[in-house]
Amino acid sequence: MSEAQHKFAFYLGCIAPNRYPGVESASIKAMKKLGVELVPLKGASCCPAPGAFGSIDLTVFYAMAARNLVLAEQMKMDIALVCNGCYKSIWEVNHKLKHNKDLRDGVNEVLKEIDMEYKGTINVYHTAELLYNDKFIGVDKVRNSVTNPLTGARIAVHYGCHLTKPHKDREFEKEVMLNTEHPSWMEELVAALGATPVEYRNKMQCCGAGGGVRGYDIVHSLDITNDKLINLKEVKVDALTDICPFCQLQFDRGQIEIKEKFGVSYDLPVLHFAELLGLAQGMSPQDLGLDLHGISCEPFLQKVL
Amino acid sequence: MVRTKGYPEALEKKLHDQRYYSEDSNPEFTKNVKGISRTIAHMCYQCGTCTGSCPSAPRSTYRIRKFMRRAVLGLENESLTDPDLWLCTTCYSCTDRCPRDIAPTDVIMAMRNLAFKRDIIPVNFLKTVQAIYSSGHGVPNNDVNRAARERLGLTRDPPTTHMYPEYMPGIRKIIDHYKLKANADRIVKEREG
Repeated sequence: MSEAQHKFAFYLGCIAPNRYPGVESASIKAMKKLGVELVPLKGASCCPAPGAFGSIDLTVFYAMAARNLVLAEQMKMDIALVCNGCYKSIWEVNHKLKHNKDLRDGVNEVLKEIDMEYKGTINVYHTAELLYNDKFIGVDKVRNSVTNPLTGARIAVHYGCHLTKPHKDREFEKEVMLNTEHPSWMEELVAALGATPVEYRNKMQCCGAGGGVRGYDIVHSLDITNDKLINLKEVKVDALTDICPFCQLQFDRGQIEIKEKFGVSYDLPVLHFAELLGLAQGMSPQDLGLDLHGISCEPFLQKVL
Repeated sequence: MVRTKGYPEALEKKLHDQRYYSEDSNPEFTKNVKGISRTIAHMCYQCGTCTGSCPSAPRSTYRIRKFMRRAVLGLENESLTDPDLWLCTTCYSCTDRCPRDIAPTDVIMAMRNLAFKRDIIPVNFLKTVQAIYSSGHGVPNNDVNRAARERLGLTRDPPTTHMYPEYMPGIRKIIDHYKLKANADRIVKEREG
């Protein structure tokens, strides 16, 4: 095994480690095989939740996100993370603080109370971005790492919102990631695992969970999710893959709630791309904790194992 | 100001005012929304691309375009007391597509911040603050998950504030600096007893 070529502070967030721990373990193991070492970011907290927390007071939101950034600055490491919601907080606050002196000064005034200072010395990446960008890993290397190709599986992608939107503010090195109307870079990654990526109607629609809406009006929130599930059912996929544990929660546990509240069931397995990658690299469903999912992954697993 | 028409002074003043307003307008509100959101709501020409892009619009009376108009007109009460204010999922589709380069999503976020200053806030938002104040996580660990983590070869608690609670006093200090926890506790108690 070759030495890790890249090292990142692994920012976990909440839902991955505390609800879908397979996303955490698969990310660490799969990325290691691809030459990327993910080092624990000790003492990190919630990003904090951009919708729920940011809606209350953005000033506190900036300071709380900055504290997480400073922990990585102290390690002199860039951050890698696995959640779009966390990306919105951690990447965007880093970006805002780097470019707005007034915000940075305000944040540092508070951080001084806990002997911290935000300096703006690191960058923030989503693991999906690391996988796609050949400067770090790239699609070819992902393809070459596959030992158990997911042949025959029809998989649709849910991109989620906060990794790429609003594209005007984002700064991806890979231009194609700025296409937010009809992107296909995730489909390239799905194909690299041997599976068949499947398009569906209104692919870029939100999962419905964000902005505190899941907590504020669950039926409204699930109705948005249901819209996507109807469109997914139409194209007969074996699984849906995501790059955001909050979207995953909304689609996975959400299907149970939709069954309760709307009386419709889909039984569509929902897997984070890290979990798919783990499977394709030969990790077992047990190693990935797939039994923790609300919707059984069995029918999908039978197809690919 | 050029005075050529010889109208009464009040009318002259109104005709030269660059700002649109109605009787309920509060110019401070427009200014505050701009300050917090850091976007240019006054550039909005009401095309409705935002509402057309909104996943919440087809299933509610929430119209982001209406909130954009309210921001420009300074309609504070109308904005902050409208329950639809809380139906934005912050998907940023409107911001992504706005032909005037405005971020309507951030206008909504600014209005929500201003609503909170008047104690207008759904309780679920405050509970996130309380959860983070107590454990550092909005969605904390639990025993079922701890057992599963162990099975996966991970530590029972993740290497976050869960495993290193010595970081909690710093987090609490930040939140207390803004008196956010005290306000959250007070409002939740008022609502739920």
